[in-house]
Amino acid sequence: MSPVLLVFLYGLFTAATTALGVLPFAFVRTVSSRAVAYANAIAAGLMLGACFQLVVEGSGHGAVQTGAGALLGVAFILATQRFLARYDVDIDEVRGAGARRMILIVVVMTVHSMAEGIAVGAGFGGGEELALLITAAIAVHNVPEGLAISAVLRPQGVSIARCAWWSFFSSLPQPLLAVPAFLFVDAVRPALPYGLGFAAGAMIYMVLVELLPGAYEEARRPAVGLLVSSTLVGMIVLQQYL
Amino acid sequence: MEPVLLVLAYSVAATLLAAVGGVPLLTRDRVPVQWLGWSNAAAAGTMLGAAYLLAASGISGRALALGAGALLGIGFVWWTHAVSGTGDLDLNVQGGSPAGYGSDVLLVSALHSGAEGVAIGAAMAADAVLGVWVAAAIGLHNIPEATLLASVFRSRGEPAARATLLAIVGNSPIVPLAVSTFAVVDAAPVALPWALGFASGALIYLVTVDLLPESYRQAGATSIAMITLLAMGLVATVRGVLQ
Repeated sequence: MSPVLLVFLYGLFTAATTALGVLPFAFVRTVSSRAVAYANAIAAGLMLGACFQLVVEGSGHGAVQTGAGALLGVAFILATQRFLARYDVDIDEVRGAGARRMILIVVVMTVHSMAEGIAVGAGFGGGEELALLITAAIAVHNVPEGLAISAVLRPQGVSIARCAWWSFFSSLPQPLLAVPAFLFVDAVRPALPYGLGFAAGAMIYMVLVELLPGAYEEARRPAVGLLVSSTLVGMIVLQQYL
Repeated sequence: MEPVLLVLAYSVAATLLAAVGGVPLLTRDRVPVQWLGWSNAAAAGTMLGAAYLLAASGISGRALALGAGALLGIGFVWWTHAVSGTGDLDLNVQGGSPAGYGSDVLLVSALHSGAEGVAIGAAMAADAVLGVWVAAAIGLHNIPEATLLASVFRSRGEPAARATLLAIVGNSPIVPLAVSTFAVVDAAPVALPWALGFASGALIYLVTVDLLPESYRQAGATSIAMITLLAMGLVATVRGVLQ
């Protein structure tokens, strides 16, 4: 098999595992407003944990570039928010503020997998064994990302199948961008810290401006704090073993 | 200088920086509520940045110990809040606060500073440059935090100088905890990832339970998110440059 096809198939496989994140919601029937707050808090912890790894990797390539990328990421989310605010958006029959939050998380997670896709593709330069290892790691790592997306979408009444689809969709940039990154490793490498920082900035901003305020409104502070901080720690440790 | 004395000097300096936070109260009796929100956000961002640096420094190799330490840190702060009945305490009440409120706020800020002391001590033990930068970050974060504390005491009728002094007192546990954490980790290096994790987890929990919830109500989500992220980014980026 040609290495390009292999990279693409590996990437597609990792994207598919993102959809597994919806599984816990197959067992939860009714969703109270407090449960939505808890789900937001968990999503916030998972996203912040993912950012930890992005920033560590980005800083390895250049801390200032990562910081500059993060500022760009924030600007991107601000622009997206402005854009969404001008239209009465609806997605899968959800309207208004809930729909805007849903679109925002799908956009943010999609941007984040672009950076990951590039990182994977650039990492493939190290041979097939390393490639397999990275693929397996990303595949497992994508499951909580699908969980984060589903945790925002499902409480809004989006069906399980649609949650799985949007989770999968958000990871599609991984196979699509892994291939060009693999082919042009040397051209891609200088852009890597900017991309990683961009994704981290966008995700952290999204957590701070949407998920946390929403969680605090509906649940008690210690519960939100415990959920955010312990999922964050769990995600950080998990990523070390992948 | 003896390393322990260095830790002492830096943690004392970080504590005393709180005095700067009392300055706005010299010219006005009451700080606008939006300022309090921004102060909370600046303090939160700096703490998150410091927590990131601690975790990033301890993660390679001993991730499980770091994670376990972090869970201990989270659990410890949760437990102290629960035992003292301050888990849901609003730390920013201006005027009309009940009789025991002043001492509750002082107690919470003392516990809060304890975690910051562990952060400075553990960072110093991990690597001197990291330690100095974490001490600087915690010191800077004490400024907006002291503005908050001092304005609470000011609104309870304390003169500005005494309100500022109380804010420094509330921050003083930084010193003994920084020195003793450093001494323990220096003597038993196996404790390093635990200490880094403990401080990191405690700081993150404090931010999510004490600082951010109030700030959103005080100043709105957009400005809070922006200030928190900028402070966090600065702490992380400067460290990267120092390296």
